Amino acid sequence: MNLMQAFKMAFKSIASKKMRSFLTMLGIIIGVASVVIMVSVVQGMNKRNMEYLEAQGENKIQVYAFQYYGSSGNVSDLLYEYCLGMQDLVIGVTPQIEVWQDITIKYGAKTFSTQNYDDWTKRLSIQLGSDQFGVCNNYTLGGGRELSFLDVEKTNKVCVLGGGAKKILFDFVDPVGETIFINSQPFLVVGWYEPTGLEGMSSMDNVVLLPYTFNRTLNNNQNIEQYVVKARSATDTTLAIARLKAFLGGFITNGENGYYDVSSNNNWADQVQEQSLMQSLVLGAIAGISLLVGGIGIMNIMLVTVTERTREIGIRKAIGAERKSIIVQFLIEAAVICGIGGLIGILLGCMGALIAGKFLLQGMILWPSSTIAVGAFAFSVALGVLFGMYPAIKASSLQPVEALRAE
Amino acid sequence: MLIDIQDLYKIYNEGQESEVRALDGVSLQIDRGEFVAIVGASGSGKSTMMNVLGCLDVPTRGRYDLNGTDVTSLKDKELAHIRNREIGFIFQGYNLLQDLDALDNVILPLIYRGTSIFEREELAMAALARVGMDGRAHHRPGQMSGGQQQRVAIARAIATHPPIIMADEPTGALDSKTGRHVLSILQQLYREGTTILLITHDDGIAATAPRVVRLSDGKIISDAHQEVDWL
Repeated sequence: MNLMQAFKMAFKSIASKKMRSFLTMLGIIIGVASVVIMVSVVQGMNKRNMEYLEAQGENKIQVYAFQYYGSSGNVSDLLYEYCLGMQDLVIGVTPQIEVWQDITIKYGAKTFSTQNYDDWTKRLSIQLGSDQFGVCNNYTLGGGRELSFLDVEKTNKVCVLGGGAKKILFDFVDPVGETIFINSQPFLVVGWYEPTGLEGMSSMDNVVLLPYTFNRTLNNNQNIEQYVVKARSATDTTLAIARLKAFLGGFITNGENGYYDVSSNNNWADQVQEQSLMQSLVLGAIAGISLLVGGIGIMNIMLVTVTERTREIGIRKAIGAERKSIIVQFLIEAAVICGIGGLIGILLGCMGALIAGKFLLQGMILWPSSTIAVGAFAFSVALGVLFGMYPAIKASSLQPVEALRAE
Repeated sequence: MLIDIQDLYKIYNEGQESEVRALDGVSLQIDRGEFVAIVGASGSGKSTMMNVLGCLDVPTRGRYDLNGTDVTSLKDKELAHIRNREIGFIFQGYNLLQDLDALDNVILPLIYRGTSIFEREELAMAALARVGMDGRAHHRPGQMSGGQQQRVAIARAIATHPPIIMADEPTGALDSKTGRHVLSILQQLYREGTTILLITHDDGIAATAPRVVRLSDGKIISDAHQEVDWL
């Protein structure tokens, strides 16, 4: 008996018992679908995090320092000067302050708030920075110019828009030379950045950048507590961090008279990947258990099938079926059931992953990788063969006359 | 000698209180081209006899040579070959696969034989035509009468042109007219040189066989040749 014929027989047998075949498949369908969804979500989150890190650029050092009220000396201005003094190691230095106050931004008839947390895609944030803000945060200028040193010095009412803010406020119109109103004060748009291209990650693009000297009026704060320093290379990053820590340590003892922290994002990528691997392993193990349960379901049904079809096995043996043919027939039946279940599971898993991407990852489109799809399919077929083995061997070892006697 | 059994035993629960000797030291020789009826009451061991002769069951003790080969020493695979190529079975309950139509049922032994896919259907249709069932090739067993099912079963038995046909009460479930028709098919096969083993409890049917072997309590009590009207 050739394989082709065996497949035909398996399909015939499955088709003649649709309901039972479907119930058998259900375990595999759910198992495979959950594997596909879980792995896709983890991969999607990982991809998003990596993209976010990439968009921010490498060798970016975040410096955070503040002193308790009443402490002697003011480290923030000195820190800025110190950073600017590290020209051998750094490309750029900028204060980076997000204004958390409720601020309204108007252009024409459109009004936006920095406190619109209902719709993140329409929320704008006000960032305060220097002329080097763009360089430090890996932005690419799309048109116009960056803030200038003079804008900062004179607290000029000018702004640079992020790609998202430009789209929200001006759509496709060139914003350079237009005036927007921030808390009813007119600000001239002098430039705009290209969108970072992060799907569903609006926070980096929906920014309006003002000179950091507006900290006092908009933020009611005269101290600058956060800087971003862009180093020239990974080695320079390490050096700069060491120097900055030494410098800040001279002023601040953590927890006593203030707090400081210096860190770079260079090893975040490794951490993100390590974390994602762990998540994959844990979720994969859970999904694997559900597949195993599905496989045991298959074995159960196949055993029932063997008992039910003992007479058929007897007839087949009486007209000349070898043990091998009977084994192959039952194995293929189990493998086909699992294979079809696997395909349906992959299909449902893709749909589930798309839905999960839409609701869990802000509309990110998650496509399960082909490795996962092929792997899940192969695994489910292997399960069918594995768990079909015992019933198949049991079925084939019957004496024809015993099998024929069964009702 | 086609079939040669010597001192054959089939004993169930041997040595226990419930010991049953279905075959109790039977010796029998059947030549190629014979028509033999094995007759006996229910429980006489005639079905066990056919199962052992047909390699559907293994004897407890004794010697069974088929075509000069010692069958008791053969492995499962070789026994399957013998059942497929040497013997065609016809059962009282037809034993057709309910999910397959008549043609697919008849094709089945050809599949196990390894006949090429291009010849299978032709051979199966020819076998169906021989029993007058070629018009019902795509009916399932459930859509046919008992007589029609038995004719499909005969077609399946002869599809591989085996030299031996073993029929266990082939007319048992049929009315007398249909039964006669089934018998006439067997007689026609006999005329063409096929060896026929007919197991029955019905003396009327036994009377149509040129040789009658009578079994009782697992032993042969008579073995006689007789004149029949259809030859």
